[in-house]
Amino acid sequence: MSLLTLNNIEVVYDSVFLAVKGISIEVPEGGLVALLGANGAGKSSVLKAISGLLRSERGAVSRGQATFRHENLLALDPPERVRRGLVHVLEGRRVFEHLSPAENLLAATTMHRDRTRVTRRLDEMLTLFPRLAERANAKAGYLSGGEQQMLAIARALMTEPKLILLDEPSLGLAPFLVDEIFDVIRRINAEQGVAVLLVEQNAVAALDLVQSAYLIEQGRVVMSGSAEALRANPDIQEAYLAGHNQVDYHAVKHYRRRKRWLA
Amino acid sequence: MDASLLLELAVNGAFIGMMYALVSAGIVLIYKTSGIANLAQGALAMTGAYMAWIGGTLIGLPIWVAAPLAAAVMFGIGALIERFAMRRMIGQPLIMAIMLTMGMEIMLRGLMPGILGASVKKIDIGIPNAPIILGDILINRTLLIGGLISFAMIVASILFFNSRLGVVMRAVSDDQTASWSVGIRVERAIAIAWGLSAVMATTAGVLWGATQGIDWSLSLLLIKALAIAILGGLDSIPGVLIAGIIVGLVESLATGIIDPIIGGGSRDLVASAIILITLLIRPHGLLGREHIERV
Repeated sequence: MSLLTLNNIEVVYDSVFLAVKGISIEVPEGGLVALLGANGAGKSSVLKAISGLLRSERGAVSRGQATFRHENLLALDPPERVRRGLVHVLEGRRVFEHLSPAENLLAATTMHRDRTRVTRRLDEMLTLFPRLAERANAKAGYLSGGEQQMLAIARALMTEPKLILLDEPSLGLAPFLVDEIFDVIRRINAEQGVAVLLVEQNAVAALDLVQSAYLIEQGRVVMSGSAEALRANPDIQEAYLAGHNQVDYHAVKHYRRRKRWLA
Repeated sequence: MDASLLLELAVNGAFIGMMYALVSAGIVLIYKTSGIANLAQGALAMTGAYMAWIGGTLIGLPIWVAAPLAAAVMFGIGALIERFAMRRMIGQPLIMAIMLTMGMEIMLRGLMPGILGASVKKIDIGIPNAPIILGDILINRTLLIGGLISFAMIVASILFFNSRLGVVMRAVSDDQTASWSVGIRVERAIAIAWGLSAVMATTAGVLWGATQGIDWSLSLLLIKALAIAILGGLDSIPGVLIAGIIVGLVESLATGIIDPIIGGGSRDLVASAIILITLLIRPHGLLGREHIERV
């Protein structure tokens, strides 16, 4: 059963610039789905259309339908969408810099009335992310990039989502941190049953993680399918996975040189 | 000039400073959540005092009913200002929003005396005039009690910022888009800040109204409040408390020491001098928050 369905969504900025040109995607309950594509392809705009955060950038959904658990999403304002169970982790982490990590987590609990539940959830997050517990009283702005990304994910999980939208969680992180973040994503998907819609430029890592993916170019879905199918596709290998059957330029040069000598 | 007179000036000045600080705590509260310097804070204090006068004198309620009632009404007025005026300014340049608050200050300054009459209204909050004598210094009882009430409210607002709602408000001031993304109702948080700020303004207005009477000149508290907010660092409540005491002390001592020499008028100079000097030497104030930039 599908949790989130986008049908022919169009996103327009400033009433003139068409960034997303009719995209249809589907995220199943408890699924792990990636949106792949180059810079400026429209991946982040799709996420913002889902979470409703286009408005603060003068963008709008100009056409199409979005349903989340059989409910029309587009009629709801962003805080209301969070209450329905979808949460957006913004690109570039966007933690509350002047708040401590614990306060960052607390700020994301306005929808929960039950204080004991909030405290329990907070403890859960600090066990899931032990590095945050170590620095619980520092200002979040002084955490390292990886720690901030973990904080942003933990903050989103405080809202107890059914679906988490992750916008480039590996951005600007060292490779071993990327692995750590992706491990965390795998765990929250497996252990808490949270569906994940992941936007990534790092296609290698993303295709290892997800079940299915959509490839977006210039605001359109140009390819979609299971992760294995996409990984096996020669075009994708060439453009996004840095090719396994690459031409060996060293050999090429050697061959030419020899030929010139003989001729 | 003997030491006991100076001490007396200093003690009374400190209490006055705390009463000023209560007005600027309201400015800080709004600045901390929405990033806008509210220049209507003085007029809100004046309006609150008029409200208490309407309840206490016009309707005849006892002051301990009229003052909280006025505060409740002002909470509503503060929230309405956010709902119908400030919210329209979202997406506009910041200066437009600040100019709007300035416009409200000027309008209220004319409107309230215009409706209720320009003569000075008396409000009695039941504090006897006789000073408290402590050794050889005299402490003005109204200032003492007013200062202590102000101090209590400022401490309460420091505690408030560590509660969940307070944390949410600080989050809003850090990053509005990120706040939306985790389900914070940003507009509502800012409306609450305006409401609470109006309550603080009302308390300050009633306390000042009790010492000097209620008329349009109550809104001139804005200048002192701005001086304190700037000196304390626009977004720090503890900073406001410290700066309030400094401004109160300096003002009081200046009146006592310089006035006899130059023939009066130095009191109003202090606030403006403090604004200027702070902005030139330490623009983010005493305890203003640092700008975090990771490298």
